[in-house]
Amino acid sequence: MNSPNTALSPSFARPPARVAIRRAASYEVDLLPILRETLREFDLPLQGKSVLLKVNFVCHDPYGAINTHPAVVVAAREAFLSLGASTVTIADGPGLERDIEAIAESMRLRDFIPSLSTSLVDLNTDDVHPVPLKTRASTLKKLYLPATVLGADLVVSMPKMKTHHWSGVTLSLKNMFGIVPGSCYGWPKNILHWAGIANSILDINSAVRPHFAIVDGITGMEGNGPIQGSPKSCGLLILGNDPVSVDATCARVMGLRPERINYLRRAGLLLGHLHEEKILQIGEKPEQVRTPFAVLDDFRHLSIGLKQN
Amino acid sequence: MQSQNSDGGWGYRPASQSATEPTAWTLCALHNENLGEPSRKQISLGKDWLLRNQLADGSWPSFALQTEGCWVTALAGLALHEIAGESDAVTRGFDWLCNSWPRTPNFWQRLRQRLSSSGEVTRQNNSLAGWAWTTNTGSWVEPTSYALIFLRRLDPKHLSTLALKRKELAEAMLCDRMCPGGGWNSGNPLVYGVAGEPLVGPTVWALLALRECGELPQVRESLQWLEKSIPQIHGSVSTAIAHMCLEVYGRRIPAMDVHLQERFETDRFLNNISVTALAALDLNPARNLFPPAAQEVAAL
Repeated sequence: MNSPNTALSPSFARPPARVAIRRAASYEVDLLPILRETLREFDLPLQGKSVLLKVNFVCHDPYGAINTHPAVVVAAREAFLSLGASTVTIADGPGLERDIEAIAESMRLRDFIPSLSTSLVDLNTDDVHPVPLKTRASTLKKLYLPATVLGADLVVSMPKMKTHHWSGVTLSLKNMFGIVPGSCYGWPKNILHWAGIANSILDINSAVRPHFAIVDGITGMEGNGPIQGSPKSCGLLILGNDPVSVDATCARVMGLRPERINYLRRAGLLLGHLHEEKILQIGEKPEQVRTPFAVLDDFRHLSIGLKQN
Repeated sequence: MQSQNSDGGWGYRPASQSATEPTAWTLCALHNENLGEPSRKQISLGKDWLLRNQLADGSWPSFALQTEGCWVTALAGLALHEIAGESDAVTRGFDWLCNSWPRTPNFWQRLRQRLSSSGEVTRQNNSLAGWAWTTNTGSWVEPTSYALIFLRRLDPKHLSTLALKRKELAEAMLCDRMCPGGGWNSGNPLVYGVAGEPLVGPTVWALLALRECGELPQVRESLQWLEKSIPQIHGSVSTAIAHMCLEVYGRRIPAMDVHLQERFETDRFLNNISVTALAALDLNPARNLFPPAAQEVAAL
């Protein structure tokens, strides 16, 4: 798929990005029309294409604040199929819990998608291919990455809107950690921590560019995320054709300054647009829906507003 | 057995790339079955796949196309030992493990952590070296447990001073990394002052690795955590290994057999060959790999 954001290029050489903010009060709302109509506005070349939804499935999630909610996942799946995609695969490689089936069961994913064996791919145990990294932010140089991701026509990063105790926030770029297979690198993928989380985020997203991002911000997580924080209701879905712009927009909604988030600032140099003047907003404006997230002390400097943890 | 690739190995799923982990668990599972000549030939082909893919330094990579060894070395060594006893390949794999030390934070990293405004980030004793998932990274619960399980299967008379030291350190490391209240997660029992949630997988492997240390309070607490967690165990592999572990410690939970059967009928364990092999190991009462734990723990 030749979408404009697949190549590494400096910000001035890239067309403006488009990011949509849509209100969705809860997971009980019919999310399919919201996602389908918004996706239609992006005019993605989906006819006959294989789509991979890289969700964020982490662990047992009793408050619905950790994992991408199945209602959002299923609505996205239906939306892409209705817009002409030939296949839509749901995939993740959880970084801590090896038993992806246990995560799926705890989320009741089977209530939405009866046949997990044909719809859900565990990227941790997928076939792998060596992929030379295009950038040298870390010392990694090469990663073995899942064949299912490398073979997809359209990769959609579908994170939860959360703070993160190491990187500040975890959104569509950080979500791509989940494509690094545990079979090769373990649970957790500790090699990425030693290589530097920010550096690894940049290198992974340079190697495999998500073509699109859909952030589940209906209920997010603030404070000591990505697992041990507190649920945060925002009632939003944020979509866009440039993951950097989507994450920057999410950060603004969360009351954080994207240019102060280490990896996001650097991603804005080569991977996408960070600055508001280069992002065409569709739907709500970030300042209209701003919902400040509490952050750990180490990340107080990121905050636009006053709220601290 | 029908899922064996033509190269002799097994992938994580039928018709996928042969990989060390599913090949090792499948060989361990098949070795415990009373199989006929054709099956013994399949085991032999699987063994050959492992031998062919051992690297020059004695380690194993996860997949044949890789050139660096990692955590699966313990599983490959364990499987070869189970099906053929001690051999040069097993010894070289074990030597690699013994000489493979985890990475610990350097002075500057420790200083930065201490100066962090959030204070203590993690609570653990990094001088207690276990094993890492990949070279040049830190100790974690599961790879340490796999290496200990492998080490315990070897003849103790043949263990070097280094091996005994690694065993002692690894046992201490596992005890240090237990979550408050019992059970293990991947290896961070406390982050920013918040207790980590135990997970079934790491808890089971740590308990199996410590099955000769029943007197340890960590074993007792974690066993209790695992028993209490049974109603919340839903996934196939979690069910299989938890059931096997509890049986090793003298607990029989027939409902877990039924649950495992249901999981197989629903989705065939999502076609995962490693999971199928571990379930077969679990359901085989004659398995040698995990003998019963010490009697005093079984009598808790």
